[in-house]
Amino acid sequence: MHLVVCAKQIPDPETPPAAFRIDAGTNAVVPAAGIKPVLSPFDAQAAEAALRIREQAGEGKITVISLGQGSAQDAIKQVLAMGADEGVLLNDDAFERGDSYTTAHVLAAAIRKLGDVDAVFCGRQAADWDMGQVGLGIAELLGWPCAIVAKDVQLADGAVTVQRVLTDGFETVRTPLPAVVTVSNELGDPRYPKLQQIMQAAKKTVTNWSAADLGLDASSVGAAGSRLRLVGLAQPEAGGAVEIIEGDTPEAQAQALVQALIDARII
Amino acid sequence: MTATDDVIVPARGSRLIGAWWGPALGVSGLGLVTAVEMERTGAGRETFFNIGQPWAVYVFFSALVGLMIYGFGRHLTLWMIGRPTPGLREQIAHRLRNAVRLGLAQEKIRRDRYAGIMHWCIFSSIVVLTFVTAQVAIDDDLSLHFLRGPYYLFFSFYGDLFGLVGLVGVAMALYRRYFDDFHRIRWDERVEDHLIIWGLGLVLKTGFILEALRIAADELGPHPDWAVWSFVSFGLAHLIMLFRLSTEQLLAVHQWAWWTHLVVAFSWLGLIVFTKLDHIFFAPVNAFLLRTDSPGRLSKIENIEEREVFGVGQIQDFTWKQLFELDACVRCGRCTAVCPANIAGQPLSPMQVIQDLKAHLADVGPAIQRAGNAGHDVRAVSPLAMVGDVIKDEALWACRSCGACMQECPVLIEHVPTIIDMRRYLVMDEARIPATAQAALESLESRGHPWRGTALTRTTWMDGLGDVPIFDGSQEYLYWVGCSGSLVERNLPITQSVFRLLREAGTSFGVLGQEETCNGDPARRLGNEYLYQILAQQLIETFKSKQVQRVITNCPHCFNTFKNEYPQFDGQFEVLHHTEFLARALKEGALVPKHRIDSTVTYHDSCYLGRLNGQYDAPRQILEFLPGATVTEMARSGSRGLCCGAGGGNMWLEEVGERRLNHVRAEEAVGTGAQSVVSNCPFCIQMFEDGIPAVQPQEEGRMRAFDVAELLDQAVLGTGRTP
Repeated sequence: MHLVVCAKQIPDPETPPAAFRIDAGTNAVVPAAGIKPVLSPFDAQAAEAALRIREQAGEGKITVISLGQGSAQDAIKQVLAMGADEGVLLNDDAFERGDSYTTAHVLAAAIRKLGDVDAVFCGRQAADWDMGQVGLGIAELLGWPCAIVAKDVQLADGAVTVQRVLTDGFETVRTPLPAVVTVSNELGDPRYPKLQQIMQAAKKTVTNWSAADLGLDASSVGAAGSRLRLVGLAQPEAGGAVEIIEGDTPEAQAQALVQALIDARII
Repeated sequence: MTATDDVIVPARGSRLIGAWWGPALGVSGLGLVTAVEMERTGAGRETFFNIGQPWAVYVFFSALVGLMIYGFGRHLTLWMIGRPTPGLREQIAHRLRNAVRLGLAQEKIRRDRYAGIMHWCIFSSIVVLTFVTAQVAIDDDLSLHFLRGPYYLFFSFYGDLFGLVGLVGVAMALYRRYFDDFHRIRWDERVEDHLIIWGLGLVLKTGFILEALRIAADELGPHPDWAVWSFVSFGLAHLIMLFRLSTEQLLAVHQWAWWTHLVVAFSWLGLIVFTKLDHIFFAPVNAFLLRTDSPGRLSKIENIEEREVFGVGQIQDFTWKQLFELDACVRCGRCTAVCPANIAGQPLSPMQVIQDLKAHLADVGPAIQRAGNAGHDVRAVSPLAMVGDVIKDEALWACRSCGACMQECPVLIEHVPTIIDMRRYLVMDEARIPATAQAALESLESRGHPWRGTALTRTTWMDGLGDVPIFDGSQEYLYWVGCSGSLVERNLPITQSVFRLLREAGTSFGVLGQEETCNGDPARRLGNEYLYQILAQQLIETFKSKQVQRVITNCPHCFNTFKNEYPQFDGQFEVLHHTEFLARALKEGALVPKHRIDSTVTYHDSCYLGRLNGQYDAPRQILEFLPGATVTEMARSGSRGLCCGAGGGNMWLEEVGERRLNHVRAEEAVGTGAQSVVSNCPFCIQMFEDGIPAVQPQEEGRMRAFDVAELLDQAVLGTGRTP
């Protein structure tokens, strides 16, 4: 059994708002000084899902792949410390400033190159842009079935059974392998690595693949292959208004509050 | 006075020794003088009077010695499965002093006055009566016959005096065990506890009866003026005379009594090998083995990257000193009685931890030892997981590392390092860790601070303060703000107050601002020594590259880390907590309070400034300088202070148990009737801010929590907070 986890390194979602800057000229986020990028939390959950499946099966190999620059090694090492076996970094200047499509394109090529993959696990979305497209894109490009926003994943008899989170509950779907699953935070907290594993992970070498290694044409990846055009990037104005709900008695106040919430389509 | 001294030895200790021994020696001395005054030639008695088989004593004595060698030998082989104990050859003089002051003079025991008197009575009685018995043996064996004349009379006198003192001690012990509503000694009560105390009573009583019979038979008639020196037995002898027994009958009963006394006394001494009485030997030795550095310091794992096991997961991973001290425990329950977790009904009893480990050592120790000798895998021996089965995870997490248990322990057991060693196993070896603590550790790792989700930056607090000097090596002090001082909203006013006061006092100082990173304390307390070492080494590099020499900290935890733990990594800095600096500035007149603080306040000692570093005075001195402020102390204060609830990484742990500790402490603060509670630690302040509303749901008239610096800022500059 060979499982692949796709991991993305993103700017720390917990960057304080005061440290968050946008460069209007290049339409890009300026990395906050002194704040290190982190593994996208949903991707840590994707890794957790793969690790649980391997634990249950008692065998299997887990490869973690990441598209990014050299620093993304840290994200790979983190998943290796959690228990993944091998790491592949897809690193090429040509990959820069791509979109969800080119990312899926490169990742799908890497998965093809790995060959014998049974299932791919992605986070439900990267916690920086929150697009949620890459997992579906990989499945589409590979021609595999895909189940998104999973809270539980079971793998048995050549099929994967996924509990999917819906807005009003959850549904269980079953699909043959190979397949792509995107994992949601409802799966539960990712494990904390043992120190022994962290040290072993630190010693592992991460394989680097470029566009040429994957047999990809530079024009089909990164900014050149991008199909999405970023029109503008702006920081939303923070603010709010306070409305005092009037009423003679607490009951009347509560009733007025409920009505106001209904009117605002909140409940 | 150094911090270590203060923690281990209460300040009034040595004076108390005089106070206790004084009267006893005084009475004895008076007895000696009177005895010489009233000298009668030929006073004395035949040793082993009326006893046909004095050799029996030596048989019993040899048996006892053999038993002790066997019993302690078995203990010894179990201790030896532990790892080497580093640093024992250092500071021998200090260790010997500890053995005398804490082991023999028993300074800790007196922290409970009743128990102090009781224990002294029993202890001194056993010591003196052993000496008395030894003299009888020497007098006879070596045919010295010095038990003659005035010394014999004096000997009779102090023998009876200390027999009586012993009986007083036994009576006090019996009262506490059976008639007083006293809980801690019953938490883990065993048959031996009854046996020891009744047994000792019996030894003393049979001793008196025996002596009384001899006096009745041999002394009362011919030498009543000698007999009166044995003043207890003298009275008893008169009682015996009421039975009008013949001399023959008296002699026969005397023989019986002698045998009874012999058997009872040696049986009781035999208990030393099998019961908690072994503390007679183990306690002074454990006092010698006691750490000589600060109790605020946790041990460094050397060459951590080369190890296979990082924490202590099995009994043989402890050092032999840690195993030794398990045997010193007498189950007095003092540790558990002061343990903040236990007070709040949370699942930790330090005494039970020690006792469970002791039982586990007895269980699996011999098999581990055999496996080790046979070259088998010692890690495969125990059928139980020590961490998890024997000691529950939640007990380990409930520890606040406040040191109250170690402060009280009369036999000098060090509970906190033992608990943290097992936490290290949970975190580094097993990665079994509560989610909230995990989040804090992950945040430390990726963000360099434990405050996940903060919207503040390390420079937010500077807003509105004007020019904030950045430390560049030219200033005298580095003002270390810390993560809590800069990233937690409530603590920003504290940081600002300290800053304004430093500026007002004309201090040459700077801050690191954006370059501050966590010094590692939460990682170390939560058991991630590896992460701690990385963070500590990074920061020590930063300090050295900026030529930092003197540091003023906001937070007692940072203070403790810099002061006590960084020297382990070759980081030697002079460290002051802001209260120490500010108290000095007030005394020197660099700060002058002008504005009135008309309020009653109660002062809460943070564990890391108070108990673990011995600084109780500086914050109180500042409060004395505040015009119009009156201080009322809580019942638990100073070295007996109660943790706010956040220590030992519990700031980032969900509490399990009956109550939240900060509610308990807030209740105690509110109970003083003061308008505000004042502390010196950002964690304490946060815990009070959260705990007080739970105790006082009404907002009106609610107690408020402040740092000392906030009130001083108000008094000096009018820019702080008004209670």
